[in-house]
Amino acid sequence: MKLTTEQFDALALELDTLKLQVKQQIGEADACYIRRVLLCQRLAAICGRVLMVLGFITPWFWLAGVLALALAKILDNMEIGHNVLHGQYDWMNDPVLHSKRFEWDIACDAGSWQRTHNFEHHTYTNIIGKDRDFGYGLLRLSNDFRWRLRNLWQGGTYLLLSMLFQWGVSYHELAAQRVFFGKKKADRHSQVTDSELKKAFFGKGARQLIKDYLFFPLIAGPMWLWVLGGNALANLIRNLWTSTVIFCGHFTRDIHTFSAEACENESRGQWYYRQMLGSSNFTGPTWLHILTGHLSCQIEHHLFPDIPARHYPAMATQVQAIASRFNIPYNTGSFLRQYGTVFWRILRYSLPGGKASTRPAYL
Amino acid sequence: MKALLARSWRAFCLMLGNQPSLTRYLLPLVQWLKPGFLPGQYRAQLVATAWQTADMIELTLQLSKRWPGFVPGQHINVTLKHNGRYLTRPFSICSSFSLWQSQGQISLCCKLNREGEFTPLLPRLTKGQWLSISAAQGDFVWQHPALSTVFIAAGSGITPVAAMLLSQRHWLSEATLHYRVRGNENAALLAPLQQLAQRNPLFNLQLSDSRVETAIEFSARLMRQPLQREFYLCGPAMFMQHITTNLTAHGVSRAQIHCEQFAPLLQNTAHSCAEDEINSTFIVAGLPKMMALPRMFSLLQSAEQQGLAPAFGCRMGVCFQCVCEKVSGQVRDMRSGQLSGHGREQIQLCISQPVTELVIKL
Repeated sequence: MKLTTEQFDALALELDTLKLQVKQQIGEADACYIRRVLLCQRLAAICGRVLMVLGFITPWFWLAGVLALALAKILDNMEIGHNVLHGQYDWMNDPVLHSKRFEWDIACDAGSWQRTHNFEHHTYTNIIGKDRDFGYGLLRLSNDFRWRLRNLWQGGTYLLLSMLFQWGVSYHELAAQRVFFGKKKADRHSQVTDSELKKAFFGKGARQLIKDYLFFPLIAGPMWLWVLGGNALANLIRNLWTSTVIFCGHFTRDIHTFSAEACENESRGQWYYRQMLGSSNFTGPTWLHILTGHLSCQIEHHLFPDIPARHYPAMATQVQAIASRFNIPYNTGSFLRQYGTVFWRILRYSLPGGKASTRPAYL
Repeated sequence: MKALLARSWRAFCLMLGNQPSLTRYLLPLVQWLKPGFLPGQYRAQLVATAWQTADMIELTLQLSKRWPGFVPGQHINVTLKHNGRYLTRPFSICSSFSLWQSQGQISLCCKLNREGEFTPLLPRLTKGQWLSISAAQGDFVWQHPALSTVFIAAGSGITPVAAMLLSQRHWLSEATLHYRVRGNENAALLAPLQQLAQRNPLFNLQLSDSRVETAIEFSARLMRQPLQREFYLCGPAMFMQHITTNLTAHGVSRAQIHCEQFAPLLQNTAHSCAEDEINSTFIVAGLPKMMALPRMFSLLQSAEQQGLAPAFGCRMGVCFQCVCEKVSGQVRDMRSGQLSGHGREQIQLCISQPVTELVIKL
């Protein structure tokens, strides 16, 4: 599957052309769609909080409230927040749905997310040592990393990370910058100071905690414990869901990793190639795509992070056709199958050894 | 105390909905109920459109009662949604103060720029449609109605001048309007101004047809008249520059000349194309910093070369970390060569090159 320089250029041209075609279609329909999702999200959040208090009539109301709030948080984080923060809707010039202004219902500060996710993860996807999203500095997910004793119980670490996922994401940049623990790395540069990082981390975190575990329980009066528990449960559902979706994007069985040296001076075509090999999709109905923020089409998202995500499923067919023409593996499968391989990867690499990770021939 | 309350309220709203105000959190719901609503703006409903000339359309708007009013000569930013996108452009109010006072309406006279993104949409607006407008702004207002005044307006520059003249109730001194235009058929707002001239002996209307009288002849004629006056100029940038230079050469002091540069900045583009650098302003944390930006570099590169430190990321248009607000001016997308609008919008510094003079908030 070795590609020549000309083939890489041809690949870049085909993908650029596809991007241009879709870009020309962007307009009213996309704006209507995202505004509608935002409206649903707001309604779900408000209804969820009200229904939880109405739980004194019947506990079913409380349960419906929890699910509605979890749905609101998932929509806010995935289909709205993640995509808006990528700048997919900047062209709308909207007062709320803009990458510079949007802030989401999650412990992670939007600015920190843009630095670690939009820049670090999307630029250096799956480059060992540069993309800290590969294992989050906690999990050994390929034999690129030396085995350590703590990897033995990384199955448990993973479950814990999933349950507290929003805090993991929020702490991600501070861990990378060694703000609280560890020795600073000489090769890491940051656009923000440690004190700014701490301020954003504690500020945003406190806001989220006060809202869900102080303010809303307090105004619920005698229902305070139900509301407190309901909010915790809604946060837990959101955490488990987002972590599961995100793990399916980059840690499935056939994913490739890359070395920093091999990726120096890569061409546009090689960059596209790396994004395709480093990501994986999963299939499912439309509602599933929406709940994942269309990260079910992780490959398309990594190729075209600034195209409104609702176009990804349609683009996937074309990207898959291009991949097969260039003989590039296209990693997709059902949600359960993909998740199964993720789980297996976490367990397999908790033990020493493991297969050498596949690296594309050009690298 | 008030500031503290405002800060606390903002913190409370951020806690509750991650938005600086409840209105912004509830925006999708509010817009659902009240079309055209935008935070910090006022709603306005289109009640009538009329063609003033072949390429100037007059929009009459019924304004929200919350709108705080205006001083004749000021302009507003009009925002409308087209193809899912909010577009904003400034327009001078051309109607009299009494129209707003009595009926809560204002009129805008908008010149259509066929190649533009915004003005070609105006004839397509339907009666009853909701728009958003800003509070009135600008300091091009008739400051000393007691002093003898000369107004010089060219083309669509008539709009703020017409508002000033038509709003004046108690005439204290004489005023002359030199209205320079390509024939009477292209003179917007001519009828109300002629009526005013007939009614009011202190107001003198002089038309200058640019097909008959050249700019040099017009300027020379102007200089032969008494110059101990206040001058109010509104028209294309080149035209105003020419008149201002002549007036100052004839001993008129800068303090006597009041200018409003409006819309036709396009001529400036062609004029300055040969230059390699464009003088622009970056606003850093509220402080404006003037600098020359090379045309060949991205705004991000130029800003950094000048010692500024805007947020940056991938430098290839992917990560959107460098998105900034462009207050005015035009940029080119280095990837596609596409030109932006001239108004306020968000741009990515790393892939934008300057085309005209810019003001950017970093």
